[in-house]
Amino acid sequence: MGEEKDLLAGLVLELRRGTLILSVLSQMAEAKYGYALVQSLEEKGVEIDPNTLYPLLRRLEKQGLLASRWDTGGSKPRKYYQRTAYGNDIYEELKKQWRQISAGIEALMEEEEG
Amino acid sequence: MTEKDQELMKRYIYQVVRRLPQEQKEEVSLELQELITDMIEEKGISMEEALAKLGDPARLAERYQDASHCLIGPEYYDTYRWFVKIVLLCSMIPVFLTGSLDAVLTGGTRVWMLGDSLMPEAAAVSVIFGVFGAALEALAAGLTAFGAVTFVFVILERQKVKLEKKAEKEWKVGDLEESPARRVPGFAPGVLPSVPSPKARISRGDCIVEIVFTVIFGVLLVFAPHFFSAVLPDGDTVTFIPLFNLEQWSVLLPFFVLSLFAGLVDDAVRLAVGVYGKAVLVSSLICNGVSLALSVILLKALPFWNPNFAADLGARLSGDEELLGLLAHWDGGLASNLLLAVILFAVLLDTGTVVYKTLRYGAL
Repeated sequence: MGEEKDLLAGLVLELRRGTLILSVLSQMAEAKYGYALVQSLEEKGVEIDPNTLYPLLRRLEKQGLLASRWDTGGSKPRKYYQRTAYGNDIYEELKKQWRQISAGIEALMEEEEG
Repeated sequence: MTEKDQELMKRYIYQVVRRLPQEQKEEVSLELQELITDMIEEKGISMEEALAKLGDPARLAERYQDASHCLIGPEYYDTYRWFVKIVLLCSMIPVFLTGSLDAVLTGGTRVWMLGDSLMPEAAAVSVIFGVFGAALEALAAGLTAFGAVTFVFVILERQKVKLEKKAEKEWKVGDLEESPARRVPGFAPGVLPSVPSPKARISRGDCIVEIVFTVIFGVLLVFAPHFFSAVLPDGDTVTFIPLFNLEQWSVLLPFFVLSLFAGLVDDAVRLAVGVYGKAVLVSSLICNGVSLALSVILLKALPFWNPNFAADLGARLSGDEELLGLLAHWDGGLASNLLLAVILFAVLLDTGTVVYKTLRYGAL
């Protein structure tokens, strides 16, 4: 029983991992700091561990999809991330791909359910 | 936030950033500070709870490093394994053979050839120790070879990452006007070669055996040319009467080694290509040609044989008429011709096989 749970957890994790980038990019039209992003995703029912998100943000920045700046005006320094123009293009492209995949999978499952 | 919490957070962040490259340390440290304090403030949880939620700092640091964690990736792994096998065989066997042969020859000759019944145990012990030492040396050689091969492949793996990135960039600039459908870099089913006929395939095992034997022979020639000798007991020691002209060895050896090297190159090509075809045919013609040419130079133009072989051996064999009679027939020129005939036969046989198999089954 425990094994089955582990397997399922692993599979769900894998499934979610693929959608993470899309989820994150979707929220970055306006500048946000990391934890605000965690919350805005959580509010919409997308769970993400901060320990996954922060490294991911850095990677997306390195790939040129996001840009960051430190805001030292508030009570403590915060790092804000926002989509770049390149990030916008990629996001639009990814959205299209996602809709295709999602429609395809949906069709497959409907067919199976009869 | 209490001082204790501060200290805890500092420790956690240190455990993460100490695993990161220098240029990331400061920023990640600030980022984590921001994150941890946010988690505590927004969720109303304790420092311990927040850190527990972030999990093992080592794992977090791992996530920050996007570099892959394998020394040699799947792309090179297969080749790497073949290489390790060959190199291990080529290093350990020759070292072991040279060492133990040496031990057996020097330690054992007395007992076996002289019938030295006085100290057979001592000789046997020295042989055992010698063989044991050779095994240790072989182990050390194997480890060194393993390390060296791994090192080379690790470099390849790292370089590949760079090369691929470069290629990607160049490709993007060059292919901007291409239609999207054609933008498939790298693999395309159209470039898959056809499956070779089973008879056109070259056995990897054969190649490896050949390579190993060539290397063993080469190592013996370079490090222990006196093994190619008549070994005679001489009082307490052993006398080697070399078959080859060791006085001219520095002149002869390069030809020998080059000739073996040509064979190695040929085997390496066969191993890499794996199928009879143009590449193997060309390599085999060139390498066999080079080998043959070098053999001719070595045997016909250079003072290859020890000129004193027959005389020295005869002087020590006085009494054994039968052997002396045989020795009287010893003639370097004749030996050269015989050996050359054998080499020529081998070369022709090999080349003939390659030509036949290539024309019959291979893809030209």
